[in-house]
Amino acid sequence: MIEFKEVTTIYDNDETIEILNGVNLEIKDGEFVSIIGPAGAGKSTMLRLLTREISPHKGEIVLDGVNLAHIPPKAIPLLRRKIGTVYQDFKLLSNKTAFENVAFAMEVCGADRDEIEIDVPKILGIVGLGDKLKSFPHQLSGGEKQRLAIARALIHRPRIILADEPTGNLDLVNSYDVVKLLMKINELGTTVILATHNREVVNAIGKRVLSIEKGKIVRDQVENGKYVI
Amino acid sequence: MKESFRRIFDVGWTNFKRNSYLSMGTTGVMVLVLVLFSGLMSLNYLASQVVSGLEEKVDVSVYFKNDASEEEIAKVKSDLESLGTVKNVEYVSKDQALNEFKERHAGDTLVQDSLAELDENPLQASLNVKAEDSAQYASIVTFLEGNKFRSLVDKINFYENEQVIARVLSISGGLQNWGFLLTMALALIAILVTFNTVRLTIYSQKQEIEIMRLVGGSNWHIKAPYLVEGGMYGALAAGIVTVIFYPVAFFISPKIESLMPGVSLISYFASNIIQFIFLLFFIGILLGVTSSFVAIRRFLKI
Repeated sequence: MIEFKEVTTIYDNDETIEILNGVNLEIKDGEFVSIIGPAGAGKSTMLRLLTREISPHKGEIVLDGVNLAHIPPKAIPLLRRKIGTVYQDFKLLSNKTAFENVAFAMEVCGADRDEIEIDVPKILGIVGLGDKLKSFPHQLSGGEKQRLAIARALIHRPRIILADEPTGNLDLVNSYDVVKLLMKINELGTTVILATHNREVVNAIGKRVLSIEKGKIVRDQVENGKYVI
Repeated sequence: MKESFRRIFDVGWTNFKRNSYLSMGTTGVMVLVLVLFSGLMSLNYLASQVVSGLEEKVDVSVYFKNDASEEEIAKVKSDLESLGTVKNVEYVSKDQALNEFKERHAGDTLVQDSLAELDENPLQASLNVKAEDSAQYASIVTFLEGNKFRSLVDKINFYENEQVIARVLSISGGLQNWGFLLTMALALIAILVTFNTVRLTIYSQKQEIEIMRLVGGSNWHIKAPYLVEGGMYGALAAGIVTVIFYPVAFFISPKIESLMPGVSLISYFASNIIQFIFLLFFIGILLGVTSSFVAIRRFLKI
């Protein structure tokens, strides 16, 4: 269970801007939640708070009963292994093959070679890239790149997947493929939180939708999930 | 664990190769530091040889009054020998002193004639005292100037040698201090250059590091390759200095020996080859790892 309790974050430069303003939220295990809102509404900030890239200025974020603020810095990598992340710009290493991009995520966590040799082809097969192990990112289509990024996010068998505008750089067909893949992952029990500004994507999913504007949740549609203004 | 270490060394080596120009620059500065360090060691060795050569030549002579008996002088000699600071004491009797003087001036008829004119031996009996360490002459002189021997001793020539001893000690101390300061200054520059190299490496691999952080890479797995990279700069520099230093020492050693007979630079470094190479590698790797550590702490916030 993920809980946001009165969470406020501030961007403090020349002028102080509130990115999130007293956000309260509960996400149950296994849910598929879409967060929709315009650019700068605070969608990505919510995801970054969950991976402890940033900390809230006020309020608490609780994951499985543990306040994230109480996690010592040394344990943050362990938290991040529980959470897979997918981004609009894929964040793939251009000088590594599909296999190496996923293997890299295991290597930096200390996995041994045998484990990597078994797990990486398996996960690439699951996302439909079983025949692209030796392809470099520039040899893959946008949709394939995003599926590779999802494979990397899944490699630690995370309980939560955070997807920040995963269809932002994709055409309609590839966007639909990526959404289907995320739904499949969710059906297997993984909590998925998707941040997007794309209403078509949200409507295609048909699950819970949180609407966020100027740092506040303005609508929480648990039923039906169709986002219609 | 073994796999982990293998990966850390692989990544460190890849970083090292990838930034070849930066790596060469950093290694170059470290080579300079280590060359200076080796030069300082050589200078220290040469200075210690000069000092010990001079110290061998320096002693304190105690001249006794003509009425001092041989027994009294022998008592002073044994008292001096019982001091822990005295290396040896040599007795020169009046007759022995005269003979040595005559021998020294054998060709000088004026001196020989003058001595023949004299009724008695004008020279005094003396003790030549050598200290274990040149810094201990002052305390030996104080001992001789004490009440116990005041009635026997005519003069002590230490004060004539004191300035030479002090000068030798100050030159050798100065060489060590300035050399040390210079080495420290260059080491600081090497740390700054390595620091900036690693910082640039970190900057050029920003995306890789960001991904490592996002997928839950531990601090150790992210940071350790940069420490390895720093260590590699140091190890390579130490290797280069070893390869340069020994042939140079071999080449200049005979020239030094012609100036300072009995002082062989190459035999000194050849007999201490293991310790010297170990020290070079230790200092090089320590310099590299330290500067990488500082850069990582500052620029890699996990």
